[in-house]
Amino acid sequence: MFAYYARLALHSFGRNPGLTALMVLAIALGIAVSVMTLTVYHGMSGNPIWWKSDRLYTVTMDNWDPQNAYRPDSRLPPPEMTYRDAHHLFDSGIPERKVLMYSSNGVMSAAGNTAPVPVNTRFTTADFFAMFEVPFLYGNGWSSGADSPPQPVIVLSRDENDKLFGGANSVGRTVRWNDHEFRIVGVLNDWFPLPRYYDLNGGAFSPPDAAYLPFNWGVELEQLNNEETDCWGSHPVNNFKDFMNAECVWLQMWVELPSSAARTRMQEFMDGYWAEQHKAGRFQRPRDNRLTNVSQWLRDRQVVDNDNRLLVGLGFAFLAVCLINTVGLLLAKFLNGAPVTGVRRALGASRRQIFAQHLIEVGALSVAGAALGLALAALGLAAVHHLYASAHLGHRGGYQEITHFDSIGVVWAVGLAVVATLAAGLYPAWRVGRLPPAMYLKSQ
Amino acid sequence: MSLNVRPIMSALLRNRTGAVLVAMQVALALAVMVNALYIVMQRIDKIGRPTGIDVDNVLIVSSSGFTEHYQQVPSIQEDLAYLRGVDGVVAASAMRGTPLSDGGDAEPLVTRPEAQRTDNYNDWEVDEESLHALGIQLVAGRNFRHDEIQPPLTKQDASRFVPQIIVSRALAEHLFPHENPLGKRVFDTLNQSATIIGVVDPIMGSFPSNLHPDWLYLIPRVPADFLGLNYAVRTRPGMRDTVARLIEAHLAQSNPDRVIDSVRSLSYYKDLSYLGDHTMAIYLVTVTALVIGVTCLGIFALATFNVSTRTKQIGTRRAVGARRRDIVRYFLVENALVTGGGVVVGCALALAVGYWLSVQYALPRLNLYYLVGGVLALWGIGQLAAWQPARRAAAVPPSVATRTV
Repeated sequence: MFAYYARLALHSFGRNPGLTALMVLAIALGIAVSVMTLTVYHGMSGNPIWWKSDRLYTVTMDNWDPQNAYRPDSRLPPPEMTYRDAHHLFDSGIPERKVLMYSSNGVMSAAGNTAPVPVNTRFTTADFFAMFEVPFLYGNGWSSGADSPPQPVIVLSRDENDKLFGGANSVGRTVRWNDHEFRIVGVLNDWFPLPRYYDLNGGAFSPPDAAYLPFNWGVELEQLNNEETDCWGSHPVNNFKDFMNAECVWLQMWVELPSSAARTRMQEFMDGYWAEQHKAGRFQRPRDNRLTNVSQWLRDRQVVDNDNRLLVGLGFAFLAVCLINTVGLLLAKFLNGAPVTGVRRALGASRRQIFAQHLIEVGALSVAGAALGLALAALGLAAVHHLYASAHLGHRGGYQEITHFDSIGVVWAVGLAVVATLAAGLYPAWRVGRLPPAMYLKSQ
Repeated sequence: MSLNVRPIMSALLRNRTGAVLVAMQVALALAVMVNALYIVMQRIDKIGRPTGIDVDNVLIVSSSGFTEHYQQVPSIQEDLAYLRGVDGVVAASAMRGTPLSDGGDAEPLVTRPEAQRTDNYNDWEVDEESLHALGIQLVAGRNFRHDEIQPPLTKQDASRFVPQIIVSRALAEHLFPHENPLGKRVFDTLNQSATIIGVVDPIMGSFPSNLHPDWLYLIPRVPADFLGLNYAVRTRPGMRDTVARLIEAHLAQSNPDRVIDSVRSLSYYKDLSYLGDHTMAIYLVTVTALVIGVTCLGIFALATFNVSTRTKQIGTRRAVGARRRDIVRYFLVENALVTGGGVVVGCALALAVGYWLSVQYALPRLNLYYLVGGVLALWGIGQLAAWQPARRAAAVPPSVATRTV
């Protein structure tokens, strides 16, 4: 029966090729636009480490000016911490893993090698690699023993290792970082989490850093943060020591808490520290000590911007226009073919059979529309990618990184296409089955 | 001349579905089109705001010293001397801060010591050549003199302020409303004061997306080696890219104690800062065009369908005396009624969407001229789309009426 209905559908397409093409095109355009917006939205709103949702937390405390909120339009505490607070909390033994970090500029060269190159560098602690599940190509991260006092060890990204050593296993070799010698202990494999949840300050879609050094080197070499530093208060900050003691937020802290009990203990630890400092005259704003998991963090930091929410809405409005259009065209087409349907009904086809026959016709249209729509969406995404990439002059980072299909996106798209078109086809197929056959048999 | 709306209306009501579907499309299309184009116009306005800078002819060279031997002041002197001697270079200056790049420094300033510090204002460290090198207009007071450019901050005195500053007219107006800002004093976080000696306008600072991108002040100081150093290099028109290649090759070799991070045109930074707005505008225009196109096809298809199912009726009307133009008019009026219904619903929908956007995303409320324009445009498009099927209907010969049954 299916094969017969499919043949009928093909026959019907052949009768009005123009109309059929129009319907497929309308479906395809609607699907293409909505899939494009959804893909970008999905790329923005994804949580790249969802399996650690109940373990991984970023730590923030409201240390800001009692007279002025950190941001007048937001109720959130500053997204980073002062050195003194972060340093104190970092000494806690409650977290299973803990990371203190910031990002800085550096200049690196391999001994006896080519000209020095600027590298974006992360000063971080030993747990960074395990906590964020960073993959290694060669070697490993450093042990926590190398954190303090800081050992001259360095981890390179794969790209940087390719540039400096042509991709060879460079573990054990040395590089000069800002004219100091460091020994390579590990080389990362490809790693590009999107969004860059562990540090959103340098842009949510920026590439990870090229080099990783023990956190205390940053302090020792008095390296400033190159992303976001915010200060309040009127105390002179003349040197790095002043800076470390000032109400300046510049450090990011993450903790991995294995259980909700550990989470409660960590919260109590923070609150206890807050109360102590509050009594001593700091922390004069209402208490706001937070442990925020990744998905909430991405929401708090507004990784998905308003424009993209708007575009998703627009995409669906456009899909609605296309589907309404398709309903209209299908209806016209089926009613045009009513005399034939009348004959089939008179010859004994049931309403249900008529309905099934037309639904198969609709199904074929929807599959064609979805396939064409996905192809158009891929083209559209490539165009948007090109637009972003050319503005970046070929450098990575930015929205260009999320203008690709991922597997979940394709499943979404196919599902959306089929469901939407079948929904559009239901009414016309039902309507044509309800036509009284006698009326159409009367006229030619 | 009567338009015969009544019989057309009653015919429409007897066969509603197709007409309702087209009206729904028109309504949605109107809501999408009006709001999308309104947003597009805002983005175009935003991108087109005056920067006060000769964006097309300025290069930004970013340099970092990294060895123990590196000395910022002699290095800058040597680089500037070289840059000013390059053929095609109009002016070169050492500064901290990149115009229009969406990144930079901001510090509070107040007009009385001990006043509440609520706002941070974007600041650049500049030298006496910076205004010329960026093409910025001084509208009052004077530029910095060479001897007023302070030595760089060091890691021992990083809180030092300067005796004079230049401010943007917008910041001057904000700090000293309706007053002449020249000679006025402002205070930093440590209550160190500076006197305003000049006013520039128009100008856009480092943050084009901020609410007040034109609140900017200029500090006469050599950039510190532990912060960032840029050279702003202005070239003669058409020479920019040639100069860029030349100076990048030279500077990369000239001093082994530093690296050149990048040599980029200022338009690169500007384009990148506005990339989101630019893409959004392209996207909205494309989708709007598609919405209109699909709606057009919908109207066309419905009209064609109506004509083909009513061939006999048309023939009968022609046989009893209707002229061709009556038939054309019938279909155009029918289309006008359907589109009109859609447009009425669409107006309400467009206003509702506009209101929702203004509440949800803090966009300005929809301008009603856009709505009027959208209504007229869609109505016109509807008539155009129905024109060809109506002409075909008019071509039906009266004899058709006699042929069947």
